[in-house]
Amino acid sequence: MRVALVGNQNSGKTTLFNLLTGSHQKIGNWPGVTIEKKEGIIRTTDFELIDLPGVYSLSAYSQDEKITVDYLLNEKVDLIVNIIDATAIERSLYLTTQLLELNIPVVIALNMSDLIEKNGIKIDFEYIEKKLDTTIIQISALKKFGILNLIQAIKQPNNRKNKYVHIFDHILEDAITKIEKNIDHPFKRYIALKLIEGHELFAKYNQKSIQEIIDDIKPNYQRDLEQIIVDERYRYIESIRDESIKWHRRHMTVTDKVDRVILNKYLALPIFMGIMFLIYYLAAGPFGSLTVDFVDQLIGKFSEWFNLKLISWNASDWSRSLVIDGVVAGVGAVLNFVPQLIILFIGISLLETTGYMSRIAFFLDRVFQKVGLSGKSLIPFIVGSGCSVPAIMSARSIQDETEKKVTIMLTPFIPCSAKLPIITLFAGYFFSDHSGLVSASLYFLAIILIIGIAFVFKKIFYKDHQSSFILELPSYKVPQVSYIVKDVYQKVAAFVVQAGTIIFMSSVLIWFLISFSFAFEYGVLPDESMLAGIGKVFSWLFYPFLGTFSWEASVSVIQGLVAKEQVISSMAIIAGFSEGTSSGVLIFNASAFSFFSASSAYAFMVFNLFSAPCFGSIGAMKKELRDSKSLWLALGLQTGIAWVLATIVYQVGHLIEVLL
Amino acid sequence: MKIKQHFNIGDITTVDLLPKGTKVKVTEIHTPDHIFKRRLMDMGITEGVRMQIKKIAPLGDPIDIELRGYELCLRKKDLALINVEVIK
Repeated sequence: MRVALVGNQNSGKTTLFNLLTGSHQKIGNWPGVTIEKKEGIIRTTDFELIDLPGVYSLSAYSQDEKITVDYLLNEKVDLIVNIIDATAIERSLYLTTQLLELNIPVVIALNMSDLIEKNGIKIDFEYIEKKLDTTIIQISALKKFGILNLIQAIKQPNNRKNKYVHIFDHILEDAITKIEKNIDHPFKRYIALKLIEGHELFAKYNQKSIQEIIDDIKPNYQRDLEQIIVDERYRYIESIRDESIKWHRRHMTVTDKVDRVILNKYLALPIFMGIMFLIYYLAAGPFGSLTVDFVDQLIGKFSEWFNLKLISWNASDWSRSLVIDGVVAGVGAVLNFVPQLIILFIGISLLETTGYMSRIAFFLDRVFQKVGLSGKSLIPFIVGSGCSVPAIMSARSIQDETEKKVTIMLTPFIPCSAKLPIITLFAGYFFSDHSGLVSASLYFLAIILIIGIAFVFKKIFYKDHQSSFILELPSYKVPQVSYIVKDVYQKVAAFVVQAGTIIFMSSVLIWFLISFSFAFEYGVLPDESMLAGIGKVFSWLFYPFLGTFSWEASVSVIQGLVAKEQVISSMAIIAGFSEGTSSGVLIFNASAFSFFSASSAYAFMVFNLFSAPCFGSIGAMKKELRDSKSLWLALGLQTGIAWVLATIVYQVGHLIEVLL
Repeated sequence: MKIKQHFNIGDITTVDLLPKGTKVKVTEIHTPDHIFKRRLMDMGITEGVRMQIKKIAPLGDPIDIELRGYELCLRKKDLALINVEVIK
């Protein structure tokens, strides 16, 4: 049996999906988290459950609506579980009236039902059940109650009734019945309504006889039929509401009170900046660096201990070098940053689940609208400080195609968590006392770049482009600790797995390339190795902002394409092979990287942060942009701007260094 | 510079011109973009629906309105397409 989970955006659909199937999906308190449809098996059954994108209507105009309609019409769904937000029941039932027309049994899961009483609402469920001829199960996905009842209702066939209830006036109902007779399709009623509405997507089902019926009823109404149908639906819902829902008006809800401060005219911006600063300061500032040093020492001790072990096992020189100088140095350099990432991911997860993200989109829309973006672009940008891949995918919640495209192209400018190691390492060493300030300046630079480029795009490519902004503002929710823990764990685990696979293999490869010459002699000087040979081909590209031909830095930068943390990993391995290494900050005491000054260090960070992102992100961009021209434009733009900017930073900075 | 006008009950105007807290009734949506109009209607903005201006973004735009028991944010320029009657 196939069960489809359908509901409005932000109705708790994904949370319910996880509870029903036991799987763990992404949850957030901003509309549009379900990015693609997901499948699972409902616990204690063999029923397939499909999580469809959140929609407010089956209008079949937006991408999400089309996916949902297409699935319901063509994939032989046996039962629809319609999840409804109890705090927005009126708007939610609008979708329900459309689902009921599909002639697929519907069970309503009334989510957040624990908030009904709290909000001073009284609902006569029996009345609604009778009026819609369906089953309503009260649940709370967050508090985990009513779930077993819901599974029972899904299992019991006699719980599913839905004989179609007439909701339109008799003229429309008559016309619908007549049109249905002329349609050969399992979803006659839906198609009939779409034909009356005049939806182009369904024009192929239209015939002369049908058009005559539609033309016949038109004179009865003063407005177009599409509007009449929507009005009639809401009128029917209003009549149900008036009979079954009693409000005890409260002056102000908790959300209203919180918003009075958070969205206050003067406080909104300072609070937002304060929160973001706090998150990044904790992650990338002195506190984050402290955790990095701590893990670094642990790994250093492990490296020494393991080296001695290998000696005691009589391991050969080259195999010991492969393990210690290659794998442990490379993978270890990346693992140092795990505590920092945990801080960052907790911060982002909190922003996502509390409902603050929607507020940010709301109050900064004005700024982003000016440069041709949407307030909703902020969601990908903030998620992007964790990882660009989910960030690029979350851009789908932006309705306007142009705004979405530009947002996707600009999201990689936000320094992601994999770039954090680069920032921490360079800022910590070269700007020790001001490392927090320098890290902050890079995020700030990213924002300036995004706004500046978006503005230029708007002026050149999308001059007269007009777009709209429709955003539901959800109530605040207290974040669930267990969810945050799981969410952060998953992201950190993904990072560690990446360190264990991609970084591991890259480290082995780098060790191989630096240990052998092109003539396959082992133990050559690093300068005569294959790696040096490769790096020297490219090193002129980076001369303008490094101030020297460094094959070591060049090969490391290029490896950023594999994964940005690989830059640090590669530098750690190369440093291990060059002379002058001592304890402490290993990388910059090595002769290979001793050329770095404050200006070239800053320039190096700028280039790594803003040039083409890693392959994972490029893949996500390709998928979401669906247009290789835009992809190449974006990658070219990113790399070009990064190079120019890095060069300016170095040249100006170097001049100042010389003069001082 | 927009002059702050005074509105009386029964006036027909658009939401973008009204102060916070005003309650209105929608009388007409007039946009040539029928897909956008449909989106607004799908969100519950139909003729006759009652709305209240809940929050105005710190920078003056967008505006958050409450209708049908939930809150919806729209830009001023879109709200200018919706004629309303001031009821309170």
